[in-house]
Amino acid sequence: MGSHDAAVAIKTSQPRHRRRNERRITSLEVFCAVIVLALIFSGPLSRLLDRPGLRTGSTVFVAVCVQALPFLVLGVVLSGLIAAFLSPALMRRLLPGSPAAAVPVAGLAGVALPGCECASVPVSRRLIQQGVPPAAALTFLLAAPAVNPVVLVATKVAFPGEPRMVLARFLGSLATAMVMGWLWARFGRLEWIAERARRVVEAGDGQSRWRVFTETARHDLAEAGGFLVLGALTSAVLNVLVPPWVFATLSGQIVLGVLVMAVLAVVLALCSEADAFVVASLAQLPLLPRLVFLVVGPAIDVKLYALQAGTFGRRFAARFAPATFVVAIICAVLAGLLVLGGAR
Amino acid sequence: MRRETQNVLLILLGGAVLKIAANGEYLRYVKPWLLPWLIAAGVITVLLAGVGIARDIQAATARAHGRAVTAGDGHAGHDGHGPAGAGHDGHGHAGEGHGHSSHSPWLLLLPVLAILLIAPPALGADKVARSGDLSAVARQAPSGSAAFDQLPTEDAPLLKIGDAVTRAVWDSSGSLDGRQIRLVGFVVHMPDGSVDLARLVINCCAADAIPIKVRLDGDAAHRYPPDTWLEARGEIVAHSATEGNGYVPVFKITSLTEVTPPPDPYES
Repeated sequence: MGSHDAAVAIKTSQPRHRRRNERRITSLEVFCAVIVLALIFSGPLSRLLDRPGLRTGSTVFVAVCVQALPFLVLGVVLSGLIAAFLSPALMRRLLPGSPAAAVPVAGLAGVALPGCECASVPVSRRLIQQGVPPAAALTFLLAAPAVNPVVLVATKVAFPGEPRMVLARFLGSLATAMVMGWLWARFGRLEWIAERARRVVEAGDGQSRWRVFTETARHDLAEAGGFLVLGALTSAVLNVLVPPWVFATLSGQIVLGVLVMAVLAVVLALCSEADAFVVASLAQLPLLPRLVFLVVGPAIDVKLYALQAGTFGRRFAARFAPATFVVAIICAVLAGLLVLGGAR
Repeated sequence: MRRETQNVLLILLGGAVLKIAANGEYLRYVKPWLLPWLIAAGVITVLLAGVGIARDIQAATARAHGRAVTAGDGHAGHDGHGPAGAGHDGHGHAGEGHGHSSHSPWLLLLPVLAILLIAPPALGADKVARSGDLSAVARQAPSGSAAFDQLPTEDAPLLKIGDAVTRAVWDSSGSLDGRQIRLVGFVVHMPDGSVDLARLVINCCAADAIPIKVRLDGDAAHRYPPDTWLEARGEIVAHSATEGNGYVPVFKITSLTEVTPPPDPYES
């Protein structure tokens, strides 16, 4: 880290002097201007949004933000604690030496984080910074939102007559996470992950643990929060635009059903704790496409893509997300055929 | 975005969440059980930003006094590099954001403005009309001995629409036949011209809302605009909820009364 940052410091020292003399407009002033304008025009703004479709969309947007914020905060707090208390040396001792062996451990560790997707992104990024092999951290990223007890119980409740859905979902999601981990261990390149996300935090560089914790959590919250909002916006727009007949026309067409449900899981970006209830209500569909929805959704959706691109960089997300999508569909179909015994 | 701006934004965000948690508006968006989580998230967000601001002020004061700032205080202005960049800048330029910081925190303004200025209402008739045939009714008969309790013996008991529809579809003992019941929901003018009394069921947040509804018989409800909250008294027509009509039973109205919306607009 030293040389890069030193270069930045030198580069930026020039404009800094100039700024002191000329007083440039900074983001703080822009911010205040936006707030004042919004306050002045809040009346017309509200009227503009007072159309049924826009109102529904804005409610869904706020709902996704409000619902995800506690989980994001949980994630950044965990991430801050990891940065402050789990030294890279300790991490290396806890995990098996070879990345391939660390992958299953990371997958099962996902059971312990009872949150949804938003919590696992900052945590897994922090794990990479603490020296955990990326393959294992990415397995954790995919496993944690999908195989934790809260999600499995929710699935059980949503499908009262089909206890095997829970097992199928568990196996499909765990397989997705581990296959992606092994694929990364075999083909992944470290330089795809943005430099800022893989810089190893050096322990004991003269800062108190409290300081590392608060600064890490605060920074992660502001950054990841912005991307969460982007995902919520996309999801709200699509939530309003996807017409209901899409579901009705799919009954009986298993291949099309699987593909459409996989795409819907991506664009609707539901929380992994709620998605089971939504697909349970789509009674026209056989179980297999619904299982695909449940396995794909927590692994990759528009909200997660935005978070991943923001956290790990676009080069990473552009490769990782499509691969996850394909692997998740395959794993879900296999788990479905194995556990549910066919499409049904 | 500068570090100070981020902190102000985070305080507004945490404050907005605490505001809707305090005044009950959060029920428009999420389930009641999320309340302690929302409060915790709001408080932590405000605290993290507050600690950041306090640290900036401290660093600025130290600079003003010409004291050398320790290495650990120097990273404050370099958010684009993450906290890992701590210590690289021993001169303490707290708050001097430079071109490398990201723009993504700007997006946090959207939910802040939406919550504080617009406060979108709970989902209603538009969502129900958009959902077509979707219905939150159970797809299998509830199992277990306590599946269907006796209806309360009082005249016209108040039922949840979800309970009433589940009974109409699955209760073979006919506990609703000939019974007057009361239902509370909002008016939906469906695209096919009929008028339904509906509630939305959410499991996590409003993004996963699924409607549950009864079809109001006759013309009595047509004069109410969409989203009017009504208490409807009447009885469910036996065997009117079929797979063919998406399990929407017909409700024969005895009387309709306008009511104020309940605090939690969603059914669970």
